[in-house]
Amino acid sequence: MIAFIGRRILQLIPVLLIASIGIWAMLFAVPGGPIGVIVGENATPETIEAARREFGLDRPVAVQYADWLSHAVRGDLGTSIHSREPVFDLIMDRLPATLQLAAAATIVALLLGIPVAMVSAMYPGGWLDRVLSGWSALALGVPTFWLGILLILWFAVDLRWLPSASRHYAIWEDPAQAMRNLILPAITLGVYVSGVLARFLRASLVTEMNADYVRTARSKGLPERSIMRRHVMPNALLPFITIVGLMMASFIGGAVVTEAVFTYPGLGRLLIQAINTRDYPLIQGCIVVILVIYIFINLTVDILYAYVDPRIEYS
Amino acid sequence: MTEPVLKVRDLTVDFPGTPDRVPVVRGVSFDVHANEVLCIVGESGSGKSVTALAITGLLPASARVGGAVRVKDTDVIGADAEVLRRMRGRDVGFVFQDPSTTLNPVLPVGRQMTEGQVALGLLAKRDAAARAVELLREVDVANPEGRVGQYPHEFSGGMRQRAVIGMAMAGRPGLIIADEPTTALDVTVQAQVLGVLAKRQKDTGAAVVLITHDLGVVAEVADRVAVMYGGRIVETGQVDQIFAQPRHPYTAALLHSIPRMDMTDRRLDPIPGQPPSPASLPKGCAFEPRCSVGNGRPKCLSEDPALRIVDDASASACHYWRDTPTAAAPAEVREISRNVPDQPPLLEIRDLKVHFPVRRGILQRVTGHVRAVEGVNLTVHAGETVSLVGESGCGKTTTGKAVMGLTRATAGDILLNQQSILGLSASGMRNARRNMQYIFQDPFSSLNPVKTVEDIVAEPLHIHGLYDEAGGAKRIAELFDMVGLSPSMFGRYPAEFSGGQKQRIGIARALVLQPRLLILDEPVAALDVSIQAQILNLLEDLQKELNLGYLFIAHNLSVVRHISDRVAVMYLGRIVEESDRDTLYDAPVHPYTQSLMSAAPIPDPVEGRRRQRIVLEGEVPDPAAPPPGCAFAPRCFRATEICRSAPPPFERYGKTESRAACYHAGPLEQVEQKATGT
Amino acid sequence: MKYLHVILSTLHALLRQTGAALGLGFLALIVLVAVFADLLPLDPLGQDFIRSLEGPSRDYWFGTDELGRDILSRVVFGARTSLVTAAGAVVIAALIGVPMGLIGGFFGGWRDAALMRMVDVMMALPAILFAMTLIAVFGRSQGAALLAVGITGIPGFARIVRAQVMSLRKRDFVIAVEAFGGSAGYNMFRTILPNSLSQILVQVVVLSSVAILLEAALAFLGVGVPPPTPSWGEMLRTGKTYLHEAPYYAVLPGIVLTLTILAFDSIGRGLSRLIENPGETAMQGTLK
Repeated sequence: MIAFIGRRILQLIPVLLIASIGIWAMLFAVPGGPIGVIVGENATPETIEAARREFGLDRPVAVQYADWLSHAVRGDLGTSIHSREPVFDLIMDRLPATLQLAAAATIVALLLGIPVAMVSAMYPGGWLDRVLSGWSALALGVPTFWLGILLILWFAVDLRWLPSASRHYAIWEDPAQAMRNLILPAITLGVYVSGVLARFLRASLVTEMNADYVRTARSKGLPERSIMRRHVMPNALLPFITIVGLMMASFIGGAVVTEAVFTYPGLGRLLIQAINTRDYPLIQGCIVVILVIYIFINLTVDILYAYVDPRIEYS
Repeated sequence: MTEPVLKVRDLTVDFPGTPDRVPVVRGVSFDVHANEVLCIVGESGSGKSVTALAITGLLPASARVGGAVRVKDTDVIGADAEVLRRMRGRDVGFVFQDPSTTLNPVLPVGRQMTEGQVALGLLAKRDAAARAVELLREVDVANPEGRVGQYPHEFSGGMRQRAVIGMAMAGRPGLIIADEPTTALDVTVQAQVLGVLAKRQKDTGAAVVLITHDLGVVAEVADRVAVMYGGRIVETGQVDQIFAQPRHPYTAALLHSIPRMDMTDRRLDPIPGQPPSPASLPKGCAFEPRCSVGNGRPKCLSEDPALRIVDDASASACHYWRDTPTAAAPAEVREISRNVPDQPPLLEIRDLKVHFPVRRGILQRVTGHVRAVEGVNLTVHAGETVSLVGESGCGKTTTGKAVMGLTRATAGDILLNQQSILGLSASGMRNARRNMQYIFQDPFSSLNPVKTVEDIVAEPLHIHGLYDEAGGAKRIAELFDMVGLSPSMFGRYPAEFSGGQKQRIGIARALVLQPRLLILDEPVAALDVSIQAQILNLLEDLQKELNLGYLFIAHNLSVVRHISDRVAVMYLGRIVEESDRDTLYDAPVHPYTQSLMSAAPIPDPVEGRRRQRIVLEGEVPDPAAPPPGCAFAPRCFRATEICRSAPPPFERYGKTESRAACYHAGPLEQVEQKATGT
Repeated sequence: MKYLHVILSTLHALLRQTGAALGLGFLALIVLVAVFADLLPLDPLGQDFIRSLEGPSRDYWFGTDELGRDILSRVVFGARTSLVTAAGAVVIAALIGVPMGLIGGFFGGWRDAALMRMVDVMMALPAILFAMTLIAVFGRSQGAALLAVGITGIPGFARIVRAQVMSLRKRDFVIAVEAFGGSAGYNMFRTILPNSLSQILVQVVVLSSVAILLEAALAFLGVGVPPPTPSWGEMLRTGKTYLHEAPYYAVLPGIVLTLTILAFDSIGRGLSRLIENPGETAMQGTLK
């Protein structure tokens, strides 16, 4: 098991290296290069030269990269150009809101997605299956930002039940307010993902229900419900773990749009602000954090999967 | 007579199709009694497997089932789901074909064996684990206590199938239905599994319905036989009568079309044409288009004959059953081709080794090698067929692929026309490949599905830039003609052809560059028996006409005896015995060859009962960790100390044609047979 | 000639499935309208200040926006933006992703490892973030939006083609070509690629809808195609600020966007069904 985890972590190193080079090198692709980013477009040659020395941009690129990386690894992601605050602090300020939204959206997605998939897989091709498959297609097809707008229109503008702009309250400090502010963004994000989950789970349930071992189970007189519970579900849920993990990982950064619709104060909004103000250290910082969380969730899922699937050997 | 365990009357099954429903089973009736084994034999599409599933109500909901089926005291057709469930758990045990998919991959084997009994309240949950151990022991699984908690992927194929048999027998059911239970297994493992099935049947007194396409298996295990064709039983009878004196032209034709392992060679009598598709059955007798007895008689064309009793133990569905030929058609013995000594060999393989690295650990280091081929020597002359025979994993296919340059040889040399083809440049290898061609096992996957068959056959010419030089479309038409296809099929895609026709296309493609050597990898293994004979005859004719050398790779001993001049038996990467065909089959000297021969069932019940059997224990070892010394020693009945210390040299045995790699080579003695036989 | 037959028979088989037929119909309408938008009596830029933020009427079927422009005209011209971005993005993604998958899957080894690590990195960021980052670097323009969306589509093609190549690579008909002397290039482009076309086609359809969605999302976040070029996402963005006064402003363009995405989805599902059941088409093995 330890060797397996070790190998998975080792496999991540090239990914992290390529990604870090990409993020770091981003500044060189910006018009004006890293200097332009710091001093602005209308700087005099003297200021440029001074900045070059001050920020160490006259050193060889490899040294600059190593320097940046060694700081990043220690959590020093530089200083925001716009607010002059450490990038790391700005991000940590927003991260809890994003994590809370991600968790809420995951719950919505699972609660909606799993029952839809199970009911539709029971009668593949039947009218209920068609209706529910149509629902999944709709859940996938409706753009999140439009769905968010519709929800705001109904629940905030017409009914005035819920706020149209969400704020962040920690769920353990003020559960009622947290729910009021979280429910619309969580549904917006969760509905889309429930479509992904339902479609995937339905397909794997239908495949497993036609597997040879199900016929074997029937042939020995097992009741349908234990065939479902003991044979079909474990086989169908195994690959499902991976999909749920991927989805959760994508919530961290992929919630930008939802956060924008509800002006929710998460990591995504921070990134949009950073892009709009061309605050490159902050952009880099956000991406580094999102990437690291994504990779960490994926690793956890891989290990979990290997742990529950008896067919995978850790050697 | 006592009441039968299973009584089937006028069973019909049809499936939805366009435009009409497709009748797959059309009026099948039979009984099976306790202590009796009924074999249902037929080719693909005959309706035999659907019949088995219909008996226990396991068909999908889209199937429409008619007639009457009675298992003990349950009327199956129209029965309530709960009643059927209880019947399946209590009265019927099922063994399916592919042991790699019939067990749930994520549930321990032991639990799967007993969960049916537990669910029906026939076994207390706390006793289940102990019972599973007991069941595994009953089907001869070694170390049942250790095995019971393992998952299916930790079992070998033969062990899985034994576990399935144990599971089917868990409730001591009165009826066992086994659908092709050994088709996916190697011949020595097949012998073990059939042995276990027979033993458990004897212990429990169950009635058995065994479905198979293999006439050898039928002869070995059946008491009674039902032959199915086109969705109907065309003949039933006692096993000896079916083989000695068939009463239906199809049965007789089937027996004539299969090669025999135990007989001097003769040319095969294939059944012409294809088995009928259930969607387009002929109007009268379903067999009439292929029948030599019917031969267009008006009654056969218009009236589908009913199954009628012809004497007290047998029945036939033929208007003219009395005309059924009994003796084999006039035999034309095929001469073994004699090597002309002054003629150099076409192909010479010298001490060939093919190893594949095994990678493990965090850094995927090479930690060992799978020794797929470990020192093979072989020669093939023009006009001669040399066969490599052995069980799966013995390295026969890898040898073929290495000759073709499709797999890199690790050591040794391969000479084509006395020139080494190892280490040739890309263009040198391209030229070498004009002289040798490969024919694949699976005709369904060896033809590019998006090309027309004309393009497929012409493709090698295009690749070598020889299309116009060779005569273009005219040349392709010639080849179609040569392999028995009509050039009018040019524009069609592979999906429109049957398996046998596809294999003909594959042969035509292999011949288009006018090679001198063909490597044939299990060319008939995927085909129905009646089609097998057509392809084997075609290969023989082509060899005679074009003076081709064949390297024939197969696991089927009967087919190998039929087609070969010389035969080499492989085990775990090495040739253990090589000789001319008749010497090898009539007087094998290596204990593995002897075991292999005795394990292969022959389609003759009388002769089969006379034969002594050697049932090998265990299965082929992992080629990544072969046993020290002789690789066969752990399973060998003659093994001694020396066998385990050093691998035996490959030497001529006495003054015979045979060469063998065994310290104790020699003919099988009566004493040994008694000691090892069952 | 042969490919025309394949295309027609695929189309015919698709039209026999209700969902796919509806999708094709709607998509055909959108494409026609977008192509011939100049010939229609529409004006996406003309401002009618007196009638700004006016609900749907006989003059303005979809109402007017805050500058008094005709929303229907802007939806129609927005379709053009969407389709051009999607088409361009799919071409970029396929041109880079397909060869990556082919080479990685066919040769394996270090080439495969290198290409797939690149793909992993690209997949580690959600497409929207990846696209936003690229735009942050390149600046905001129609070209940048198209390029950014296209680049996010590369991993999808690379992975699908690679998986297809790796399974085909072991098939006998590919080995057969090697056996009679076909080169690796011949095998890749003449044997494997034609057998992967159907999978690639499905990916084209899937990516088209993703690209349209992504383009709209970028515009909604204010980093997509810059104004005044009409874009569905941009309309939703502005419409959202007028939810109280003019709810139709955000709702109506959203309906068109959603229907377009659903149309692509139903076509994609129809195609996948054809691949699973090639018997339904006249093309036999062609779609296998």
